[in-house]
Amino acid sequence: MLGALLRVAFMTAAAYRASFLVDVGVGAMTSVGVLLPLVFVYDHAAVIGGWTFHEALLVTGFFLLLQGLSGMLIEPNLSAVVEGVRTGALDYLVLKPVDAQLVASLQRIAPAKVWDLLAGGAVLAYGLHHLPAPSALGVLEAAGLLLAGLGAMYGLWILVICTSFWFVRVDNLRFLLSSVLDTGRWPVGIYQGWLRLVLTVVVPVAVVTSFPAMALLHRAQPVLVLQAAAVAVTLLGLSRLTWRLALRHYTSASS
Amino acid sequence: MVAYRAEMVVWILTATMPLVMLALWNAAAAQGPLAGFGQAEFARYFTATLVVRQLTGTWLVWELSNMVRTGSLSPQLLRPLHPLSLNLAETLAALPFRLVVLTPIVAALLVWRPDIAFLPAPSTLLLTALSTVLAFLLSWLVQGLFGMLAFWLDQSVGLFSVWFAIYALLGGYFLPLPLLPPMVRDAARWLPFQATLAAPVEILLGTNGDPLEALAVQLGWVLVAGALAAWMWRAGLRRYGAVGA
Repeated sequence: MLGALLRVAFMTAAAYRASFLVDVGVGAMTSVGVLLPLVFVYDHAAVIGGWTFHEALLVTGFFLLLQGLSGMLIEPNLSAVVEGVRTGALDYLVLKPVDAQLVASLQRIAPAKVWDLLAGGAVLAYGLHHLPAPSALGVLEAAGLLLAGLGAMYGLWILVICTSFWFVRVDNLRFLLSSVLDTGRWPVGIYQGWLRLVLTVVVPVAVVTSFPAMALLHRAQPVLVLQAAAVAVTLLGLSRLTWRLALRHYTSASS
Repeated sequence: MVAYRAEMVVWILTATMPLVMLALWNAAAAQGPLAGFGQAEFARYFTATLVVRQLTGTWLVWELSNMVRTGSLSPQLLRPLHPLSLNLAETLAALPFRLVVLTPIVAALLVWRPDIAFLPAPSTLLLTALSTVLAFLLSWLVQGLFGMLAFWLDQSVGLFSVWFAIYALLGGYFLPLPLLPPMVRDAARWLPFQATLAAPVEILLGTNGDPLEALAVQLGWVLVAGALAAWMWRAGLRRYGAVGA
């Protein structure tokens, strides 16, 4: 099932080769755009919010990974579902004999965004190269936190999609999504008070970007893992319930 | 009706990046001012950036490239009103609503850091208003230019995001221009990026030593972009018709 969806996505990309190349070039430029502000800031201060340059690079690396996954999987599907609700094309999807949420989440994949994943990996490697090597436990913890964070973001995204069943025209939600993601590019230490709470619990961007970095730096307390897991489970459960409710509410375009 | 208003709020909230940048620079300046910017100066700078960006924001590149791609431009071409004039009118009509959304955000910033409030001189306000109008025209024209690329390319929006990445760094969106490395900063003064954002912000805050020069640079770029847009529009329409859309 997953394999079939992936194959279609890559066939589409191969059919529009020039477009694919431009996408990759644009992606390269924007990841440089993510890195340069950090370089400029650390030009003026050695430690910001308790994070040094190389430590902050880890956060940026995870941010690029998140951006890549979001651009590759989330944004195209978000647009597709919202469009489907508006035009009634969602009918075909709901009629298929597989779980509608699964297909809705993976019907379109943009392989060109793979650049962000590569850039994220490179930035992570460079940052780690200049820091003491993390222990195996730290890496494991980071992987767990990353997974929990991505799960939470996925749940949040399904919730966002569900709003389109009521509000219809929210096809610009993906821009909102990306501006929310933008808050994750800096270490969570720079945000204060309730803003930090929002970024770790309500819109758990920091769980994807800062928490794994903290685990690699051995700064993640066990309670952090529990918190991330709780946030992920809550958002995933809530999104599943809302999706079912939303589908029942769906009346297609004509009725 | 509710649906469209929700869309407006979403669009407006996407321009809150200055607040994210403010958080970063606020933390960076915790130990003391950087290049003359303390926490209060950063707060004032990014509040002004937020306001100017909201006042000068347009969505032309998305709308235009969408209209060209789907062909919904065709019926608009039949009307006696120029499609771009229509968009200009729509953008200006959205201004009051933008102000409504902006007010609570600025109020919250004032509560957070009351010392960012200041009273500019009337002459400063006049120059700022002039500069903001030029900044709006320039960013509208630039977005129009990238939107018109859709007559030839499929990737006009993608290319615009490259422009945006440069603009964020050299236009004063991510950081105040004085914090750039000196060589980059001197070049940035003459580029179109700062003319769409940093110019009015710096004139308002009084950090620009030569406001008239900044206005002249802005006016120059507006004229260049305007001429280019007029030419591209004509060339693009010929191409558009040729596809048979």
